[in-house]
Amino acid sequence: MQNFQFHSASSLEDGLDYLAERAGGCKIIAGGTDLIPALRKADLSFSVTRQKSDQNSVSGSGELCKIVAGGGDVIPMMPKNTHPDYVLNILEIEELRGVTETDDTVRIGPTTTFTEMMESEVLNRCLPLLVQAASSVGGPQIRNRGTIGGNIVSNAPCADVLPAVLALEGNLELHSKKSGMRILPVAEALEAPYKTSIAADEILTGILIGKLPPGTRSGFEKLGRRNAMTTARMNMSVVLKLDDDGTISDLRIVPGAVMPVTRRMTDAEEILLGKKPEASLIEESATLMAESIFKITGIRWSTEYKKPVVQNIFKRILKQLLQDN
Amino acid sequence: MKKRGIGVGSMYYGLGYGFSRPDIGSATIEICEDGSVIVRSGQVDFGQGSDTILCQIVADELDIKYETIQIITADTAMTPDSGPTSASRITYVCGNAMIKAAQALRKKLEHIAEDILGEKDLVFVDGDIHSEAHPDKKMSFANLAKACHLQGIQMVETGWFDNSTPDVDPDTSQGDAYSAYCWASQLAEVEVDTETGKVEVLRVIAVHDVGKAINPSLVEAQIEGGVVMGLGYALTEEIIEEGCIVKNTSFEEYMISTSLDVPRIESHIIEIPSSEGPYGVKGVGEPALIPTAPAILNAICDALDVRITELPANLENLHRLIREKEKSS
Amino acid sequence: MSVEMNKTILRMKINGKAVEVTVKPTWTLLRILREELRLTGTKKGCEQGDCGACTVIMDGKAVNACLVLALQAESKEIETIEGLGTPDDLHPLQGSFIENGAVQCGYCTPGMLMSGAALLDKNPKPNIDEIKRAISGNLCRCTGYVKIIDAIGKASK
Repeated sequence: MQNFQFHSASSLEDGLDYLAERAGGCKIIAGGTDLIPALRKADLSFSVTRQKSDQNSVSGSGELCKIVAGGGDVIPMMPKNTHPDYVLNILEIEELRGVTETDDTVRIGPTTTFTEMMESEVLNRCLPLLVQAASSVGGPQIRNRGTIGGNIVSNAPCADVLPAVLALEGNLELHSKKSGMRILPVAEALEAPYKTSIAADEILTGILIGKLPPGTRSGFEKLGRRNAMTTARMNMSVVLKLDDDGTISDLRIVPGAVMPVTRRMTDAEEILLGKKPEASLIEESATLMAESIFKITGIRWSTEYKKPVVQNIFKRILKQLLQDN
Repeated sequence: MKKRGIGVGSMYYGLGYGFSRPDIGSATIEICEDGSVIVRSGQVDFGQGSDTILCQIVADELDIKYETIQIITADTAMTPDSGPTSASRITYVCGNAMIKAAQALRKKLEHIAEDILGEKDLVFVDGDIHSEAHPDKKMSFANLAKACHLQGIQMVETGWFDNSTPDVDPDTSQGDAYSAYCWASQLAEVEVDTETGKVEVLRVIAVHDVGKAINPSLVEAQIEGGVVMGLGYALTEEIIEEGCIVKNTSFEEYMISTSLDVPRIESHIIEIPSSEGPYGVKGVGEPALIPTAPAILNAICDALDVRITELPANLENLHRLIREKEKSS
Repeated sequence: MSVEMNKTILRMKINGKAVEVTVKPTWTLLRILREELRLTGTKKGCEQGDCGACTVIMDGKAVNACLVLALQAESKEIETIEGLGTPDDLHPLQGSFIENGAVQCGYCTPGMLMSGAALLDKNPKPNIDEIKRAISGNLCRCTGYVKIIDAIGKASK
């Protein structure tokens, strides 16, 4: 790794001060499960390889993602120039950790690890979608260090927890020394793969998620090549609420690892909102979702697989949620 | 939809190098004056347990306690050459070398013990020697060893076994290419998710003819490891190369199975002795891996009625076959 | 752009003993253990958190030492394989691994034992699924995991 100076912030104020003086040249480290491999790889240049049968082999250092394994998995990779002069450790800032609740909101500290999310009584009770997503990441060692904040600010196309936060309409609480505190809906923070609109002198200090009305259901599925330690080939978060008469009053669909920047599929949601979940409408919604995705990404060699499968996964989660009582 | 299928793969495998290639094993066994034994041999134990098995053979041939044997291996300064540790050959080839060295020593020891005890028909058991007719006439192996040394008798023997075979006919390719063949069948039960192309292997039953299982636990261990290698070979492992350079060299990119991917594995050992292997031994190191992918592919065929002709049968490859099948029906 | 790296003194507890070592900011806990403290039981497999060979227990949780910057371990309590047991005083897991043939080449073994120990510390009687999950971040190529899972299960009885 290239040299850097290291500081462990003892408090939020200490961290914000440190950042303010070094904005642009400082990277924040929490669990380090994304950053440390990126720091190691930062000196290497990559070429991107595709499936053997594909004629168009893409190479070059402009790519942000490394595609491997024939199937074209997107391997998490920070932008090539991950050469910070300074690294700020925020794991010792007590107030950044833990899950708390008020009557209508759940507040998750950004340095809450995936394991802590899985063990949180509040999350299991109020936001089980996040627990499902967190438990799908990596393996035990990764989950003991990786954090929800890291998953969000890395903004990897293949993130597992970020799509769930999007589906739950999470808000990011950000602090900087210069500008104080601001709240940013998570959807607005995601600019480009591996890039957010979080400023260089800002620290993510909280993820705020409104509690869901009673009776709301949620489902998550992650598809990977193997059953642990695997990047998502794709994942899917769905939130669903039915009225007493069986009409869909709320529906949120967020497919992950299918687009450069993860987003809600509002067009597909609107097909079903306010309607009863009939098979033909579900089919229409799934088709529109897939078309919307591939309008954004363009047709790639992986499209022939992802297009039908993303629909299959969406439909089966929805089917399961409709059966749940 | 989840569809299940069952498939079988069978294999035979010639152990050793065959085709008149050099294939020798050597072992030097020395009995020290305190009765402990030092074995020197060129092969490598990298975890498969050759040290254990070869010492078991020596212990058996000399009827001494296994714990009194020390083995030194893979040291060009100290150990006689036994060729590479590969080709599932070590127990067979080096085992035979051990037996030869041990039996030569045994003959010497019996002779000297008979002199000391004044009896013929001696029984060697567990590091002790006694007369069959007069069991009170006895001595320990340690004392026997000491006596040999005091008499200036060298208690070192080297055994050498040549496993090479004549080559096959250069025109017809017919002949006995290998000295012994190992046989195995494996059955796999799979469940395929037709909506995603994901395959779960639920169960593998592995039946291996190893000739003689000198250490059944170690044989099982090889089978289990081989089956999981076969699992990865069938479903997730793929080398991506570009211009002769391997691109996916990390554990992140070259995916081997994790603990959450492994099926229930039942291993069964069959012992049909080889004619020349030690106690009828054959081999299992590579055979363990060979039938697994065929069994899995046959199981997928049983489940879906699709034939896979390209590995790995990963998500994309399998789902493409599933879609093509749906279209055509 | 070269930045001067200040060496810092790192203080932590390793296997119950207070330890002080001078480190560079770019060093990982793995490097400290193996090369500064000569505790080479923890293995270097991939250095990017994919294999689990470097698993240690930090403040009660199994982590990849390669993904912890050394200075992040300040004041932490670390348990390595050297602290799990000794040849004369084996941890039940170590004894069980030997008894049940769970060791082949041995490279994954320290990491497997630490993941197993972390599991049994929290969950003394895990079922098979819980055991499989606990070691799902530890790759093994030799054993197919079968005897390792068996050994952890038997150690928990």
